[in-house]
Amino acid sequence: MTEMHHCTGFLNYFETDSSISSTKKKQECLPQTCSTLNTECMHRRLRDDRHPLATFFHLFFRVSAIVTYVCCDWFSKSFAGCFVTVLLLLSFDFWSVKNVTGRLMVGLRWWNQIDEDGKSHWVFEARKVSPSHIAATEAEARIFWLGLIICPMIWIVFFFSTLFSLKLKWLALVIAGISLQAANLYGYILCKMGGESNISKVTANFLSQTVFQTVSC
Amino acid sequence: MAEAAESPGDRGTASPRPLFAGLSDISISQDIPIEGEITIPMRSRNREFDSSTLNESVRNTIMRDLKAVGKKFMHVLYPRKSNTLLRDWDLWGPLILCVTLALMLQRGSVDSEKDGGPQFAEVFVILWFGAVTITLNSKLLGGNISFFQSLCVLGYCILPLTVAMLICRLVLLAEPGPVNFTVRLFVVIVMFAWSIAASTAFLADSQPPNRKALAVYPVFLFYFVISWMILTFTPQ
Repeated sequence: MTEMHHCTGFLNYFETDSSISSTKKKQECLPQTCSTLNTECMHRRLRDDRHPLATFFHLFFRVSAIVTYVCCDWFSKSFAGCFVTVLLLLSFDFWSVKNVTGRLMVGLRWWNQIDEDGKSHWVFEARKVSPSHIAATEAEARIFWLGLIICPMIWIVFFFSTLFSLKLKWLALVIAGISLQAANLYGYILCKMGGESNISKVTANFLSQTVFQTVSC
Repeated sequence: MAEAAESPGDRGTASPRPLFAGLSDISISQDIPIEGEITIPMRSRNREFDSSTLNESVRNTIMRDLKAVGKKFMHVLYPRKSNTLLRDWDLWGPLILCVTLALMLQRGSVDSEKDGGPQFAEVFVILWFGAVTITLNSKLLGGNISFFQSLCVLGYCILPLTVAMLICRLVLLAEPGPVNFTVRLFVVIVMFAWSIAASTAFLADSQPPNRKALAVYPVFLFYFVISWMILTFTPQ
């Protein structure tokens, strides 16, 4: 998995810039030389690294799914309409977080791949980034991880409230919500971990770090 | 058993015989099976490894996924054995079909108290729980298909039954009677057979040969239950 830590993102970026000769391209692709480029390239790169639209959509689908679930009685009396709406929002959220916002906001990607003899492999990829790049996208990364962690917890709360209030027809929806969001969370945690195997230690460290940063700013 | 010709020449012959001299006289009456393993490093053909998809626009991602879903629907309508279809699984098709079927199988939507809620959730749970159970069954029987691939195939093959549901709802707009019922029965039976044919075209290959019937039987049952729900549907 560590072989995939190459900055293909930057390689693609520089291919469009005709002023950089082709012999220099491979050299500039190394993480340690990325920060020693001329300032024009660096400013362009930092500007291109922010994705406000992706950030918006990352949160939009999750939050509107939760809001629709909570407030569906006010909008319409139909159970099926509300069910279908929340389910569609959850599915769009799953797809966009897995395919778009993870790739754009934090440079992580995970997918499933099936080879010729039918065995399935789960592949986790992380983009290697330079420290200046990390500084520029820190806010986005924080929003990404907070959104990814808090929403499944809210759905777990809904699960228990549905179970104990015996409104069992909503249980299927809540279980679908939990599984979709937990799948994304698990996939991205595995991407982030890279080669480390002790997931509980890494998760605890990371969570405490993120919460501390959020609280202290 | 191979019959080897007796090597010609007496024991007393002093001249040295070349190695394997008698080999051309050996005749083998039947095939000898040879088996072993050859490992070839997999050349990944998966699109995700291209650096071009890392930075592609969102529009391209959406269009690519939509095309994949459309291609799978076409494969269900004209089932042929194709391994490449199974490799890129996705669950969008099953979701759309499941939601459509559950919406159409609702009844009593006029009155808000009996708002068809339980039936809607019921259909949903039957579909997904049934598909998961069949997948577990086929995995326990030793099939080499992955969990999500199997869910994908089973979900996409509900398409003919969804079409049957549409036709039944249209037919039910006409006056009720035995003719009405016969038409619906015929349509449902045809679509049921189509679903079974489409799903076994994909699933049967993944099972060991002596287990094919055991793996196909739950699929038969699953589509039978859905067809039954479609056939006995009456809007009140």
